[in-house]
Amino acid sequence: MRNLLTFLFRYRGILVFVLLEIVSLVLLIRNSAYQRAAFFNSANAYTGRVLEVRTQIYDYFRLVDVNKALVTENAQLRQQLYHSELSSRMPDSLAMPGDSTGTRLKADSLMLGLRLLPSRPTEYPLIPARVINQSLRRVDNYLTLNVGSAQGVQPGMGVLTTAGVVGRVRQVSEHYATVTSLLHSKTTISAKLKRDGTFGTIRWLGDDPTHASLDYIPRQNVLVRGDTVVTSGYNAIFPEGVMIGTVDRFTKEPDKNFWTVQVHLAVNFSNLSYVYVIGPQPRAAERDTLETRSGMRPAAAAKGEEEQP
Amino acid sequence: MMQGLGTIVVQVLRFLLYVLVHMLIVSRLPSLFGVGWCFFYVGFLLFLPIATPIVALLVLSFATGFAMDLFYDTGGVHAAAAVLLGYLRPWVLRLLTPRDGYDAQDSVNIHQMGWQWYLVYTALLLVLHHTVFFFLELGSLRVVGLTLLKILVSTLFTGITLLIVQLVFFPARRRR
Repeated sequence: MRNLLTFLFRYRGILVFVLLEIVSLVLLIRNSAYQRAAFFNSANAYTGRVLEVRTQIYDYFRLVDVNKALVTENAQLRQQLYHSELSSRMPDSLAMPGDSTGTRLKADSLMLGLRLLPSRPTEYPLIPARVINQSLRRVDNYLTLNVGSAQGVQPGMGVLTTAGVVGRVRQVSEHYATVTSLLHSKTTISAKLKRDGTFGTIRWLGDDPTHASLDYIPRQNVLVRGDTVVTSGYNAIFPEGVMIGTVDRFTKEPDKNFWTVQVHLAVNFSNLSYVYVIGPQPRAAERDTLETRSGMRPAAAAKGEEEQP
Repeated sequence: MMQGLGTIVVQVLRFLLYVLVHMLIVSRLPSLFGVGWCFFYVGFLLFLPIATPIVALLVLSFATGFAMDLFYDTGGVHAAAAVLLGYLRPWVLRLLTPRDGYDAQDSVNIHQMGWQWYLVYTALLLVLHHTVFFFLELGSLRVVGLTLLKILVSTLFTGITLLIVQLVFFPARRRR
């Protein structure tokens, strides 16, 4: 017994060292497991509070930039508003079905990544959020948002800005959420070329925060520099047709069946401040079939907004 | 006994100071050419008293690294690198022992130990720490060149910051 204690005391340095390294590596590996639950992260109430205070302080120094971004966004919104006003004025003389006042009731909508999304739909929420912490130049990048389960955010929801796709919600606490950025070695997003609808997968290679690669585009397909890449809508995280980026470079490699495509990302990850969290998509196809069959609406209308490109 | 307690209080205050300064100011500095970061908190570990017991040193290293991991969402990368730094620190100190050994009053202070001693000490430990950190973060050896550049630039960045801290805040007079 005494020998054991002497032994432990003599090698206490290396023993404690090995123990703490194992703990660190276990934490690291658990953290890397994509979407795995972990308690120790910046959505934690205490660290979240510190990060929020820091954001408040630094916001004063960024007011000019934030104002500029807001003014630009305002201008875009105004433009949209003007458009919708025009379009609603045109058919005014015609009778609108189900509307006796003559004013056209339109769902409020936001233009997010080339796609018009209703801001107050019943099936899925669109939650505005502020980015309070962000990394950009690491291999696995994350964001922290100031919204949480209290605002209806759940793990797995998509995150967008007006420019396009940002990432997916990873973990949620009551008032904060962490987001796995698109700039993460394990993020893959199902995408397609808007021009001809070819499907592929967006993956980030870990070095350049302005570019990602688009995999699985067959090499017989014709690619054009500047082709728009949008979400495919195959997974239910993002609606179909949300902007991801534009094709920047593409090369044919002799030993591969697919093009090697570099996509210039539409979102500028270096100055994210306001984003929107989007809920899971409703089961559009199932609902349409059911509603058409039960005669709730005519077959032509059943095509719905979801299927527009 | 009172002195021991005093030391602990001082070190806890130093810990809070380094971690808060790191999180509130240093972490928001733009990265140098996209490849250099300032690991300011490492200064807390580097400038601990020379006679710090190994177990205390390791526990403090882990606590510091873990605090950083919480803020950066990095799991255990900072903790793993910091614990290794804590373990290697006594070895480096032993390697650099002056001819007549360390005095009781000696501390990691550029004015007391001389700039050569100080430079070798910080450079060795920072390079070790940053190497482990960046390769753990990468999880593979895919972009070795870029990672080596990151290590080099970050070491210079952190080293210069800590040198400024030394020159500004550490007492110049020898307390003998």
